[in-house]
Amino acid sequence: MNSEQQSGGGAGPAGNRPGFTRRDLVALSALGLVAGAPGLARAAAPQGQLIWGAHVSLAPTWFDPAETSGIITPFMVLYALHDALVKPMPGQALAPSLAQSWSAAEDGLSYEFVLRKGAKFHNGEPVTAEDVKFSFERYRGASHELMKSRIAAIETPDPEHVRFRLKEPWPDFLTFYSSATGAGWIVPRKYVERVGDDGFKKAPIGAGPYKFVSFTPGVELTLEAFDGYWRKIPAVKRLVFKSIPDGSTRLAALKGGEVDVIYWVSGELAEELQRSTGLTLKVSHTAPFWVYFPEQWDPKSPWHDLRVRQAASLAIDRKNINKAITFGYSRLTGNSFVPPSFDFYWQPPEPAHDIGRAKQLLAEAGHPNGFDAGPYYCDAAFSGVAEAIVNSLRDAGIRANLRPIERAAFFKGYSEKKFKGLIQGASAAFGNAATRLEAFAVKGGSYAYGNHPDIDELFQKQAIEQDQQRRAALLHKIQQLVHERVIAAPIWQLAALSGVGPRVGESTFGLIPGYPWTSPYEDITLSGG
Amino acid sequence: MKQYIIRRSSYSLLSLFLLSLTIFFFVRVTGDPATLLVEPGASAADIAAIHQRFGLDKPLWTQYGLFVWSLFQGDLGQSFYYQTPVFELYLDRLPNSLLLAFVAMSLSLLIGIPAGIMASVQVGRFWDGFGKLFTLLGQSLPSFLVGLVLILVFSVYLGWLPSSGAGTPLHLIMPAFALGWYFAASHMRLTRSSMLEVLGSEYIKLARLKGLPQSMIIAKHAFKNALIPVLTLAGINVVVMVNVAVVVETVFAWPGIGRLLYEGITFRDFPIVQGVVIMGGGMIVIVNLVIDILYAIIDPRIRLES
Repeated sequence: MNSEQQSGGGAGPAGNRPGFTRRDLVALSALGLVAGAPGLARAAAPQGQLIWGAHVSLAPTWFDPAETSGIITPFMVLYALHDALVKPMPGQALAPSLAQSWSAAEDGLSYEFVLRKGAKFHNGEPVTAEDVKFSFERYRGASHELMKSRIAAIETPDPEHVRFRLKEPWPDFLTFYSSATGAGWIVPRKYVERVGDDGFKKAPIGAGPYKFVSFTPGVELTLEAFDGYWRKIPAVKRLVFKSIPDGSTRLAALKGGEVDVIYWVSGELAEELQRSTGLTLKVSHTAPFWVYFPEQWDPKSPWHDLRVRQAASLAIDRKNINKAITFGYSRLTGNSFVPPSFDFYWQPPEPAHDIGRAKQLLAEAGHPNGFDAGPYYCDAAFSGVAEAIVNSLRDAGIRANLRPIERAAFFKGYSEKKFKGLIQGASAAFGNAATRLEAFAVKGGSYAYGNHPDIDELFQKQAIEQDQQRRAALLHKIQQLVHERVIAAPIWQLAALSGVGPRVGESTFGLIPGYPWTSPYEDITLSGG
Repeated sequence: MKQYIIRRSSYSLLSLFLLSLTIFFFVRVTGDPATLLVEPGASAADIAAIHQRFGLDKPLWTQYGLFVWSLFQGDLGQSFYYQTPVFELYLDRLPNSLLLAFVAMSLSLLIGIPAGIMASVQVGRFWDGFGKLFTLLGQSLPSFLVGLVLILVFSVYLGWLPSSGAGTPLHLIMPAFALGWYFAASHMRLTRSSMLEVLGSEYIKLARLKGLPQSMIIAKHAFKNALIPVLTLAGINVVVMVNVAVVVETVFAWPGIGRLLYEGITFRDFPIVQGVVIMGGGMIVIVNLVIDILYAIIDPRIRLES
């Protein structure tokens, strides 16, 4: 084991990490130690109560990290009840949490975590290496087969050290272990063994800043501050999560002071929220959206011509669509697939809107009067965006017909490569640039209708590259090629709009990049508190 | 009589069988629930793991066989989303739905019956016109609109009532009114027509000839007889209210069976949708069976004609 080549650590502001050095290790360890220093713990006792109006029904499966299915929603509960060895935190894509530091072997075949002294579960038991091993072994959520197939062994030399031995180097191990899945979120082994999986869901015990009080499935969850949390004692004593499925009712509840935070405010209600005295509109950015050209590998299709794809991208009036649908809050990154919060993100030039140039490119490609572009498929939930884009394309002479499809059928058709014409894609899955590109732009990807051999080759190279700087360069190059070849035309990184009432001081919205909910909960304060 | 009961019971079982078949296949037409439990871009292995876990990888007829076998054992299955037995979820929500239905029904009778009587005794005049307008609005305004207008007025502008949730009598007022208004209109309409029929009968004419005051004729002689069909309808409507308050319960975040069904549909949670529909359908089939048998006991011609 060698601690010279360090993994993990803080991402830069754009999430663009150059690699890990000794200095990084010192910084990482220092961060962990500082974060855990008891002297920094909040002295005041938690007080008061805040109520959330959630757009979804809360499910008991969210209380158990082993069940994390890959969607981001359960993390709104995981961040309160549980803690992970390493997890995304404000300013850090991989922040030391229950692990105060970690190191990777030079050969990339093992990762060792040093557990934080003093970290304990809500029942007072310390978090040990055995709990970490147990939590990983019982994990059955998203990517569990992938992770287990790559782990040779988990060693626990003592209660404060855990070592993951890999079958072969896997640079994305930490991404999967600490952010893309729930495998790195720790549950108490003894308690789970005693009460069983069902018992655990009924009365979960974690190592997070809030402990479980009560739950009515689909209706209400009540949590209370855990004064033994290692990072700090939460400021707010009680958190209540209520499920209010209707958006208008959520806003009415916020305006009436019945709840303090509401999620998922639609564009038309956001205007009303902004007008209301005492309420604040909060914005966080989630999934990148794009227009994909599934026929670009078919030489007979107009979309095979790069100029036609460039024309389509130039025709999209992103700024005005953004203003009209999300009040200008969505982010026009220009990167089709990868959001800025991801590791190895590459920043393309700002996307342009130029109808004249789009028409010129179409004329050069042999379509001076435009052409019939066929169907434009989209998830029906986002047909408003799709309609605006279809109208933009029409301005340049690209005549597409909108085909909104119910979400499940849409993604089924997309992944089974059944669609022709145009596809409006999006993804909010956790991960990094490599995991995202693998699904959408590389040979064999679940949603890739074709491939470019040079991109595939670069992708294979980065998958075994241990040097983070060289890996970043390879992934940047792939994103650059995706951009230059207009494999997809970028739309935006969608703004998730939320509302906050006057009783809330720090809401924590937007502190964790790419995460649409409030977290970390221990940082939430009451106004004037 | 025995043969009649056996025959009616067989029809009821056949109805439940057809209902189970219909709901089982219809929910599956809506799509694959696994795609709602993972983010787009999830690996095929993850989706396959979800299929296997929920038994969705088995042939459809095998799944249906298991579903029916579980039903015979009183098991409605395990919710995909909540990972909790559907029967447990149903029983958790049932008291809320019963409470809402009871209050909504009381409101609808309190509004509908007096309004129906007023309309019937003032045919073609103001109260009759008002009643018709009331009926029209109650039955044609969508309940989500009624719900949102109530929230806007009583929660946002006046601040008198909580907009959503349950727990206090105040929480009950708006959802009960929104649900009750639709039924109030139908009760008013039925009361009006029933009263008009009774008021035109010979014994009422006789009462009038005998010089009885109008109020006594209406209250003592007409109303009692006109009430029978209204109460029969109200009894059936309570069962309907328990099972169909999907929109009202969703708008007001009322934790009842309607909202459970909404959640089941939203998350493509097949066991919840199947369970709620089977329980609702079962209630209606049983109520109808009991009514048929009672009719046959009361009136022998019914069982002989059958």
